[in-house]
Amino acid sequence: MLRALQAVLAAFFGVQSERNRQRDFQQSSPWPYILAGLFMAGVFVVLVLLVARWAAAS
Amino acid sequence: MLQLLYRSCGLLLLLTGPALASAINTSSGWNMPPGVTDISREIYSLHMIIFWICVAIAVVVFGVMFWSLFVYRKSKGAKPAHFHENTTVEVIWTAIPLAILVIMAIPATATLKKIYDASDAEIDILVTGYQWRWHYQYLDQDISFFSNLGTPRSQILGEEDKGDFYLLEVDNPLVLPVGKKVRFLFTSNDVIHAWWVPDLAIKKDTIPGFINESWTIINEPGTYRGQCAELCGQDHAYMPIEVRAVTEEVWLSWLDEQRETAAAEAASGEREWTLAELNERGAGVYTTYCAACHQADGSGMPPAFPALRGNPVMTSAEGRDKHINAVLFGRPGTSMPGYGTTLSVNDLAAVITYERNAWGNDTGDAVQPSEIRALLDR
Repeated sequence: MLRALQAVLAAFFGVQSERNRQRDFQQSSPWPYILAGLFMAGVFVVLVLLVARWAAAS
Repeated sequence: MLQLLYRSCGLLLLLTGPALASAINTSSGWNMPPGVTDISREIYSLHMIIFWICVAIAVVVFGVMFWSLFVYRKSKGAKPAHFHENTTVEVIWTAIPLAILVIMAIPATATLKKIYDASDAEIDILVTGYQWRWHYQYLDQDISFFSNLGTPRSQILGEEDKGDFYLLEVDNPLVLPVGKKVRFLFTSNDVIHAWWVPDLAIKKDTIPGFINESWTIINEPGTYRGQCAELCGQDHAYMPIEVRAVTEEVWLSWLDEQRETAAAEAASGEREWTLAELNERGAGVYTTYCAACHQADGSGMPPAFPALRGNPVMTSAEGRDKHINAVLFGRPGTSMPGYGTTLSVNDLAAVITYERNAWGNDTGDAVQPSEIRALLDR
């Protein structure tokens, strides 16, 4: 699961090393990656919302 | 070889340097104007900060690029490196632009917040876009009027030399006091227009059925000009904006003057007008509202815009009702709009009379404002 999170973060940033990519594609199931992706997308939305709230209030 | 490089760099600077310097100088007309409000100056300095950040990035990026091209060229025996991916470099070239964007977003957000804060305004003005003129309504002062193109058609047609403010002048400018917070509400009567005055740093779409909002506090008295910035049809270029910023005393006396004119105008709608009076006024109204399509000489542009000169509707007694009806309520299915809600009864009576008597239409008909009033009230 931690590995999936790391892969999703790398995807969000847009840079992934070849070694990690090979490792990720040897996993048996894509589900940890899909779930981690959905979760992080939610976290990102909440983060943007909080930053916007904070900027509007300050 | 190196000397050649230095020389060409010097030449490049010599050629582009003065051009760059004069372009940044705001009076050249190439750069955006700093404007006459606190917000417009903030926007201007943001623009300049970001401009210089872009210049710095260009110098660094192209500097490294040209330096590499020159120093590591094939004739000097340079050998290309063959490698695939370098995660560290990729992280750096992603993180640096990210950091630059965040740094630029901080002051931009601070200014945006101010732009959107239209609270505590002392004056509210409803700006309505029409094809092709602006309407201003001072919501608290009970004053409203249309602002039409002031440039004579003879200049547009090239029969006369163009004036200093060609297509940037109006008959009734928007008059505002300096130092007071003015809130604008924007909407449109027909299609999407945009109210754009660079010196106030305002450019807002006016959309039918929507209300947009903006505000300004003008610091310096003066005349500030703008244009419609959303392509809105045939006369899009002929609906300029003229804002006259004056001191508060001048503004107050202007308000009184406007109220007096409106009262006199309403009173004169009750009396009988002579044919000559109606014709004289009608000629002016015709030029402003009708001549764009039906032409100054009434010849029109058939088949889209029928000729009025010699038109049986304008020359016969039987056509009179049809004529009045077309001007007041428009002709559905054609591009002829109704002017019953746009023009005053005096203007309507005058322009109809003019059309029935000009260019040899000589019916001798005088259509009275009271007659128009009765039709509109029905």
